[in-house]
Amino acid sequence: MSSSGAPSHKALSKIACKRLQKELVEWQMNPPTGFKHKVNDNLQRWIIEVIGAPGTLYANETYQLQVDFPEHYPMESPQVIFLLPAPLHPHIYSNGHICLDILYDSWSPAMTVSSICISILSMLSSSTEKQRPTDNDRYVQNCKNGRSPKETRWWFHDDKV
Amino acid sequence: MQNQNDTVKDDAELAASISAEQWGCCSVEEPSFQDDEAAKVPYVGDKEPMSSLSAEYQAGSPILLEKIKVLDSQYVAIRRTRGDGNCFFRSFMFSYLEHILESQDGAEVDRIKVNVEKCRKNLQNLGYTDFTFEDFFALFLEQLDDILQGGEESISYDELVNRSRDQSVSDYSKLLLNFFDNLYSTECGFDRFLCLSVVMFFRFVTAGEIKTRAEFFEPFITGLSNTTVDQFCKTSVEPMGEESDHIHITALSDALGVAIRVVYLDRSSCDTGGGVTVNHHDFVPVGSGTNEKEEASSAAPFITLLYRPGHYDILYPKVLENVEK
Repeated sequence: MSSSGAPSHKALSKIACKRLQKELVEWQMNPPTGFKHKVNDNLQRWIIEVIGAPGTLYANETYQLQVDFPEHYPMESPQVIFLLPAPLHPHIYSNGHICLDILYDSWSPAMTVSSICISILSMLSSSTEKQRPTDNDRYVQNCKNGRSPKETRWWFHDDKV
Repeated sequence: MQNQNDTVKDDAELAASISAEQWGCCSVEEPSFQDDEAAKVPYVGDKEPMSSLSAEYQAGSPILLEKIKVLDSQYVAIRRTRGDGNCFFRSFMFSYLEHILESQDGAEVDRIKVNVEKCRKNLQNLGYTDFTFEDFFALFLEQLDDILQGGEESISYDELVNRSRDQSVSDYSKLLLNFFDNLYSTECGFDRFLCLSVVMFFRFVTAGEIKTRAEFFEPFITGLSNTTVDQFCKTSVEPMGEESDHIHITALSDALGVAIRVVYLDRSSCDTGGGVTVNHHDFVPVGSGTNEKEEASSAAPFITLLYRPGHYDILYPKVLENVEK
């Protein structure tokens, strides 16, 4: 269960701390539909419950996202992975890594944990078949040493799902 | 997919050392780019004579060499910036702050602050969450104040010097350069964050302007990338390291009310009969200036950037000759 999600963090910078506190307050007042933040006292790692949207392949299924924030959040993107078991989806690897551009190259400080969650749910909802990415086994094998998905050079070319 | 090599990659080497493979949904295409070249150039370099430009092209095309000769007659120096996809914004930032530092033009600072406030309202109206951009705005305004006071009184001046490592520097731009270098390179992450934040501030301003005037920008955006205005801002403006083109420059110039001259050094032939000329384009802000001050449109922009395909550097015009064109 601990999977690959233990990046060696430096503590959050002051700016990151301030920002995350604001995000937390905003989340509590206005949580995105379909998500539940499992509150703990760790500002640097959020565990978020995702419930598949009604009428989609993942309806009524519950998964867990683990969001780890780097020292220089929001200039640097958070690391977002699914805790196992990860949903069966063409862009989600069996080790929980997610192929979604906003988590990597297209990350911007204009985004928030909320907006990431919404993107992930929309990615799930638009899926038309429950299956792993075609290169799943090779990729997962390559990550055996515990490498973070942020160290991967992703190539995004499928904007349908 | 054009800008794979341009993200903020401090971790470029890291990524490369771990794997040269690319993963994605889910196929491996194109070899990965390396931006080793980019990493060798400092974020903002020293002022260099124009001869350093011609040195680069010694074996290059005759048209380019001819054009560099023309540039040599109009400009005294070039200042290079790192080609990491933020070069337009960083060149603009350096050039603008350097201008303020040298001119100590308080009226200009007051003027731009009014526009910055408008940008803030725009973002709010567009539904951006305040906390996503407020820190970036605050940091830019702080820098303006720091730099404006920099040349006036010894206290603030000393403060500025204290931020640079070389206490003996006297020349302003050297001072600013050290100021920048330290912001970028210091071990202390907060300072590095602070300076990257100004680039991010400009990205927010640019996105806000594009979305607020979506009907104006839409035809350019669909022509360029065949995406929606929102999608364009999300993928090509807001993420750090995404390169800028005419759309970004127009939007930033309009939003802040700051004119920008871009000089193009490319292979296109502009022989007008009397020899080779070098194209330039002045981005003159629209909207704010018409019934206020006319001078903005008549004077040459105080920011001049040299564009070579994919990259922006800063140019310094010859002052005395008052080059027209």
